[in-house]
Amino acid sequence: MTTRSAASCLCLTAAFWILAGATSMATRGDNPRGPQADFELLQATQEVVRNVAAQMKQYLVRIETVGGAQPPEQIVDPEDEEGEQPRKRRSQRPFVDTPGSSFEIADGPTTGIIYSPDGYIIASSFNFVREPLLITVLLPDGRRLAAELIARDQVRKLALLKVDATGLPVPTWVDPREIRVGQRAIALGLGFGGDRPSVTLGIVSALHRMRGNAFQTDAKLSPANYGGPVCDIDGHILGIAVPMAQRPGELAGVEFYDSGIGFALPRSRVDEIVEVLKTGRSFYRGWLGIQIDPGVQDGLVVFKVANPSPMQEAGVVPGDRIVAINGEPIRHFGDMVKALYMIPAGEQVTLQLESDGREFNAAVTLAAAHELGDLPDVAEPFDPSVPKPDTDEDE
Amino acid sequence: MTDVLSLLLTLLTLTPALDDHGFQRAIDTTLPRVVKLYGLRVGLEAGYGSGVIVSPEGHVLTVYSLLIDARNVRAVTADGSTYDAEVVFRDMERQLALLRLANPAAGPPDPAGQAARAESPPTSFPCFDLAEEVELLPGDWILAAGNAFKVAEGDEPVSIAHGVFSARTRLDARRRVRDFPYHGDVLVIDAITSNPGAPGSAVVNLDGRFIGMIGREVVSNLTHTHFNYAIPRDVLLRFYQTAISADAADAALATTAGTTMEAGHPTPQDLGFRLSAVGYKRVLPFVEFVRIGSPAQIAGMRKDDLILSVNGRSVATVEEVEQRLKAAQPGDPLTLVLRRDRNIVTANVTTETPQ
Repeated sequence: MTTRSAASCLCLTAAFWILAGATSMATRGDNPRGPQADFELLQATQEVVRNVAAQMKQYLVRIETVGGAQPPEQIVDPEDEEGEQPRKRRSQRPFVDTPGSSFEIADGPTTGIIYSPDGYIIASSFNFVREPLLITVLLPDGRRLAAELIARDQVRKLALLKVDATGLPVPTWVDPREIRVGQRAIALGLGFGGDRPSVTLGIVSALHRMRGNAFQTDAKLSPANYGGPVCDIDGHILGIAVPMAQRPGELAGVEFYDSGIGFALPRSRVDEIVEVLKTGRSFYRGWLGIQIDPGVQDGLVVFKVANPSPMQEAGVVPGDRIVAINGEPIRHFGDMVKALYMIPAGEQVTLQLESDGREFNAAVTLAAAHELGDLPDVAEPFDPSVPKPDTDEDE
Repeated sequence: MTDVLSLLLTLLTLTPALDDHGFQRAIDTTLPRVVKLYGLRVGLEAGYGSGVIVSPEGHVLTVYSLLIDARNVRAVTADGSTYDAEVVFRDMERQLALLRLANPAAGPPDPAGQAARAESPPTSFPCFDLAEEVELLPGDWILAAGNAFKVAEGDEPVSIAHGVFSARTRLDARRRVRDFPYHGDVLVIDAITSNPGAPGSAVVNLDGRFIGMIGREVVSNLTHTHFNYAIPRDVLLRFYQTAISADAADAALATTAGTTMEAGHPTPQDLGFRLSAVGYKRVLPFVEFVRIGSPAQIAGMRKDDLILSVNGRSVATVEEVEQRLKAAQPGDPLTLVLRRDRNIVTANVTTETPQ
């Protein structure tokens, strides 16, 4: 730890003691200094937040991208319209797609956190949906370097970048087991530009969200701070802010911009993912490679099986009924989406199936979209949990 | 009996102290300096809003809306008095308006309640001093005071929302919001303030010092979430100074000022380079040609450089480079960050006065 960061830690500790002192004063309800004590408490909190932002600045990088396409749903490709590649087009359609509105991924700067002294930087994969031609990283010391996108996790929305640098300062993370619901959460980002990180303030709202991958916070999260840290009052990182929602897709989570519902990945999950990303392997969304019979409203019945596909390898044929996935009963399409949306390609799931009245289990390794054979376009499967059919998964 | 009364009295005198809290000072300062505005409802526009008193003579700053164009705009102050609000100046481009609280003339009753008409205007209104500079850092507490959803009826005080100041920025580039009505700097806040009636609300810090005013309601057409922001004090101060020095009727002044500002900005031609014109829709800002002896060449720009940013603001298209050049003042040096093969280079271009 450098002398400077040690000094700023001391400042933080001092501010925290003022805060603690003010709290004890404020609890004495009959104390005529009540309002003054409360004012001091607010002032002390403000001081703590200012210090956290100032201290964290040295660990944050501003990421700028150049070029790259808008996501496929905005580009009307006549071949796509004729159903040449229906799966690719449809799987990336944004959740909110009001007629007449075009979705554009903002191309302003975004945020990343220094992961290791040798130049690894973590950010949100959301920042790179456009497949930019060039990524530059502005280090806290003012150096602007070209960055290489090593790999990304399209499911947990994490991306790993590498710049040619050594001796970078690395922040302290909170042990995920010590994160508590109700503790203060300070979200920082560089997406708004300027010299100082932007700040939104909230608390940890829930733990073990998104199938145990993330914790939830009510600090306002948006592209302005995706890829940035969610910190505690000591300036330690609770998690990295990423867009997420209970549905698959690269753009999942956009519906929660600034809504008071936000998600961040804690250190343990980040480490697991980065371990793989460092090898250059990306995580893609996992597919079974089937279509569901849209005519069946009672349960899920397989309509078509792609060739090749994980389900074909497992011997699943049209007419088979999906009873459960990983022990979770599947009653309709929404159940299946929930059971699978956080499981990337390459991971195994256990399916309980029913074929001609005979039940059997199948261990299936989910595949990436590009590993699947073609499937014809079919109507939306029936899903009572979705009033308007806009989740159009065709696993 | 006397004992009970004195006990009650003691309790009563104690109660305010118990109810007080750290935000009290800021709220006590703010409430008398905010007015509720009522006018005509036009289409989807709310017929009500908020305003900030910025001079002892009763000048009220608010956000321009159709409400302001109504024939009878009425303002209700914190004490419940109703005034006619005369429009002094409006700036369609900055989406701001300056009103003045005028004689509490007779008129139709306040639509929201039974607010009393002021007997006579006070000699001096409590007001915020727009010229007072305030230190503001991301994470600082903020309070917003205004008539969101006109829940404050009659002489009821306006609503207070709290949050923190997030960042000072321009939202148009970041958010891809359609029809974003205001293009200057904004203060992003994390309190929920983008609501009907809230435009014109005062935003203050923990000490009750004025830092900005809530701008027009902005909803993302993508996520249907609202953007919560305030127009900064210094921007308001500049508007106010223009407004009070201008003849109230001379709206032409604003237009003239607008066109003068447009003139004289450097163009790529002036600087001696030309940008790529191939492709369609989103053209990457590749330098196609650099004139020999031009400021661009002197600064070291070369053909096939890709312009990444102009004066610190990143640019992705030819159009954005032109926009950024327009934003520069004639004669000011320009800093262009360029990609040349795998390298990042910086060019400091000194602008020529256009011929």
